[in-house]
Amino acid sequence: MLLEIKNLYVKYGNIEALHGISFTVDKGEIVTLIGANGAGKTTTLHAITRVPPPEGSKVSGGDILYNGKSLLNVPAHSIVADYNIALAPEGRHIFGNLTVEENLKLATYSRGAEDESLKKDYERVYALFPKMSERRHQRSETLSGGEQQMLSVSRAIMTSCNFILLDEPSMGLSPLLMYDMFRVLKQLNEEGMTILLIEQNANLALKFAHRGYVLDTGEIVASGTASELLSNPDVKKAYLGG
Amino acid sequence: MLDSIIQNLFNALQWGSFYSLIALGYTLVYGVLRLINFAHGDIFMVGAYIAYFIAIFLFKGSLSLSGGLTLALVIPLTMILTAMFGVTLERIAYRPLRRKGANRLYVVITALMCGLILENGNLAFLGASRKSFPELIDKVVYNFGMISMTNLKIGVIISSIIVYFILNAIISKTKIGMAMRAISYDKFAIPLMGIPIDTIIVFTFILGSSLAGLAGILFAMSYPILDPFMGAIIGWKAFIAAVVGGIGDIKGAFVGGFLLGIVEILVVAVFPSTFRDLIAFSILLIILVIKPTGLFGVAKSTKI
Repeated sequence: MLLEIKNLYVKYGNIEALHGISFTVDKGEIVTLIGANGAGKTTTLHAITRVPPPEGSKVSGGDILYNGKSLLNVPAHSIVADYNIALAPEGRHIFGNLTVEENLKLATYSRGAEDESLKKDYERVYALFPKMSERRHQRSETLSGGEQQMLSVSRAIMTSCNFILLDEPSMGLSPLLMYDMFRVLKQLNEEGMTILLIEQNANLALKFAHRGYVLDTGEIVASGTASELLSNPDVKKAYLGG
Repeated sequence: MLDSIIQNLFNALQWGSFYSLIALGYTLVYGVLRLINFAHGDIFMVGAYIAYFIAIFLFKGSLSLSGGLTLALVIPLTMILTAMFGVTLERIAYRPLRRKGANRLYVVITALMCGLILENGNLAFLGASRKSFPELIDKVVYNFGMISMTNLKIGVIISSIIVYFILNAIISKTKIGMAMRAISYDKFAIPLMGIPIDTIIVFTFILGSSLAGLAGILFAMSYPILDPFMGAIIGWKAFIAAVVGGIGDIKGAFVGGFLLGIVEILVVAVFPSTFRDLIAFSILLIILVIKPTGLFGVAKSTKI
């Protein structure tokens, strides 16, 4: 088991957002968490990557195990630098005042000296997303929304992660770009990347993932293989539009 | 007439150098933390006092080194010690508030209080008597026609320009400099890049405080009377210079500092000296009214 979420409770102040959820992700898998707005999907990803700021959410119970080790007391930067888990956050959070290339370079902050593997990763990202190569000297805030999303994912790859958390990567993408994005993600997975994907577009997510969990107001209400969920009448009704 | 203009401009560049060096510290900390570090002017004062004690110890003490050698040691030592001082201030005053997620207003008030504590701590422990900074290098006056320049003034101007270019290279070329620019745009994503935010903040305080230390040395050599409140007014003015230049932008702080120096000196050249701050700040006010983001500041745009 690569990632194991055990009975996780998360609170924002006095308001409990996650009421003891449990799920697992195995190495090499694509797992998706689907659910409506406010179900607690982003909260879950933030808990795993330890990014919540002091005034934000707090884990109030349960545990997050990665390769059997608890992540609860690991600082956010170390999740990326030492555990090689990366998050492409909702809303992209690219550094708009830096160029595309600088954004990518910054993601290699903890990787130390320039070496072969670094060069390979740049080539890999530029091959996966040719647009990034075209625009590498452009200030990233001038990119289109879809290109910013690509940059956000590219940046995650550049941290040399082997487990990537994706928070609504399809948001703001045209159908064509969305198809492109998921083709790239599939390719990454085939090269060995483990993926935990959050999506509001449940149909899309379940067609892409191996397994899925359905999150509803802080609780997991259904789980199974993607095809099981796709044919589950309750899931169909609530999330797949009939 | 031309001579007098050039003479005044030269003096203005020297005077503006101090504002620039201090304004750079304000703008660096603001860019990274969105914190107006009101204690920064007093860090400049601390720098001047550190320089004073080191200079007295090396120059007047039993070592009695030569003035030139003393200066060569005073500059790095003061910059290092002032940097350590700034980092300590961040650690004991600002970081705990940040950890608890305090509202920005409380942090700014804390900074104001820290400044007052430094001023009054100095007053309490070192006394009200002013300290006079020893003359480390012999004053040399160069005359070009009607224009006179001293080696010290030239040194001050050149130092601030060199510092700016070094700083600019750090900010634009190194990874940590990139992280400083990135953090000013989006703090949330910094740890997601594997970057410890605290490291960036400490580095920022090291840069800003060491520049304040350098300004302290140069100021003490140029106007060799030190008192506990010397950093208050000059700090305020440097802060205003940073805002007029566009706070958060180092080019803005640098140009803003010189701009304030030039405006002040030119006002005095024409009007009685009591009019200096009145007219100088009125001009800066007009600049801000016309361009509220400052000369080089840009309003951040986000894409949905």
